Amino acid sequence: MGENQYTLKKSRLQSLIEEINKNGEFIGPTKGSNEKNIKKSLFSKITNTEQIYLKTKTYYPVKTFFFKPDEVLLKFDGNNIINPEIKLKPQVFFGLRKCDLNSIWHQDIVFLEENPDPFYKRRRDNSLLIGYHCKKGDDYCFCNSFELTDFFDLMFFEKGDSYAIEVGSKKGLEFIEKNKSFFKSGKNLITDADRVTKNKKELKTTDIKDLYNNKDWEKGADKCLSCGACNFICGNCHCFEIDDNINFDLKTGERVRKPASCQLRNFTRVAGEHVFRISKLARFKHRIYHQIQYFKERHHVTFCTGCGRCIEGCPARIDWIKIINEMKK
Amino acid sequence: MNKKDLIASSPYKPEPKKVIYYKRETADSFTIRLDWQLDHKPGQFIFCSIPGIGEAPISICSYSDKYVELNIREVGNVTKALAKIKKGSMLLVRGPYGKPYPMEIFRQKSIVIIGGGCGVAPLKGVIEYIDTNRFEFKDIFLFFGFRTPDELLFEDSITHWQKNFKLKVSFDKIVGKSCYTGTQGFVTQQVDNVIKDNKNKIPFICGPPIMIEKTAEILKNKGFKDEQIYISAERLMYCGLGKCGRCMIHGKYTCLDGAVFRYDELKDYKDD
Repeated sequence: MGENQYTLKKSRLQSLIEEINKNGEFIGPTKGSNEKNIKKSLFSKITNTEQIYLKTKTYYPVKTFFFKPDEVLLKFDGNNIINPEIKLKPQVFFGLRKCDLNSIWHQDIVFLEENPDPFYKRRRDNSLLIGYHCKKGDDYCFCNSFELTDFFDLMFFEKGDSYAIEVGSKKGLEFIEKNKSFFKSGKNLITDADRVTKNKKELKTTDIKDLYNNKDWEKGADKCLSCGACNFICGNCHCFEIDDNINFDLKTGERVRKPASCQLRNFTRVAGEHVFRISKLARFKHRIYHQIQYFKERHHVTFCTGCGRCIEGCPARIDWIKIINEMKK
Repeated sequence: MNKKDLIASSPYKPEPKKVIYYKRETADSFTIRLDWQLDHKPGQFIFCSIPGIGEAPISICSYSDKYVELNIREVGNVTKALAKIKKGSMLLVRGPYGKPYPMEIFRQKSIVIIGGGCGVAPLKGVIEYIDTNRFEFKDIFLFFGFRTPDELLFEDSITHWQKNFKLKVSFDKIVGKSCYTGTQGFVTQQVDNVIKDNKNKIPFICGPPIMIEKTAEILKNKGFKDEQIYISAERLMYCGLGKCGRCMIHGKYTCLDGAVFRYDELKDYKDD
């Protein structure tokens, strides 16, 4: 659909947001709350263009909108199972970077390909993904180390006082047609130079199969606090647990899905108190190998998208990219 | 309420099945039978749930088109709650899950079945399959090890199998009230004594990790290859659908790629 390109005047974005918010929700990157001096950018509902923060990628990933923490899988009353409901307004996501979009695609592979998950599907079907081309990553980005794919409904490129728009799906085209008055069609608006993303970091090898028993992994594991921040802040990580929350009547309640962290000791604990990955080193390697090797073996695409959130969000600032780059075979 | 907002069908939703049989096997384990005509193969498992407590994966220990039998050991929250279920009540279940033993590729082979403790349960389904399709296989060797005679499982079935197969039962220690007679010693010693070579033989091992390891070692000394040996792995699981990531062993999902694995797939990653 390369020929089919459009432009949107930046001055018209406010009225587009208002139009979308009439029946749905416009969600984009915002600076986040300033309480207790914590200012961590995240995706949230936007009503005014002034809320939009496009300087860097968000601190928190977008995954919580689809792989929702505390998703109710079913309700129960004794042995009777009650179907849960998900009430949603159509959601338009704006300002998703290549890493965010590829993470969504990777979670789609997990949740929609084999044994489709109806909860994730409901949330994804309800969404329109508008990308924002990232010209220059921040200090932690290394997305060029992987072959990221074009996965979006619409992709916005910066062009002075307007956005040049590329259409990536039927859903994206339908959105343009529905809101015709905002967009102007054009041709060859986006050049090859526009598509470049600059990175400061690079992961030199994605073939880490022979490095499994390398001693250098200890450099990371020794510093690791086993807090799990890397998992919760990662756009890909999808591991979860299912817990029953029972009410005070000891009869009714909900079965909920909660995100889990493979860096915690109890991640593999089975009845009888046996823990499989008991060493911090084994858990540390498990996360990296899932990101770089395991997922690729199964789905032919590297799981990690190179957003660097796990390094930025790590309280011990463990730079696993550096550890792998410096490993001697 | 808007109808489209409801999630009516989901792979996480269990269905109620009636408990038609309940038998206490040992002090901490019991066998139940469900009125469930489930299409399944030996080595597969299901999820049992008690609302408010949670779900647990349980291996099917029968091979029948009329019912599903489960042998459950009370070790965790869910299994302890399951023990209180009564004959005639309903149990919430979903399944089957997992890759079964590839029985069709073992035609005209001898099968060596080695089970330790509650690891005998999933193997019971295999034996019942072999019993039903006896002409497809050559010699059948059964080795069961339990800690004490009091912990013996499936006494009636064992008496029946003794007539048709080469069966050895051993106990780590002969103490307790039960008067069942068997050899004293580890199950590994029995295997060592009886199995002489690897000719046309396929061993299935299920039991505690240490027992799997030791048995595989003995078999390998007799010329068995890693690719020839089949084992069952145990891992924590929440979904059974390859999503929760909890059962991953070096990139393999126990729920989708197992719980039956070829020994060469896992031997280097026993603690992973």
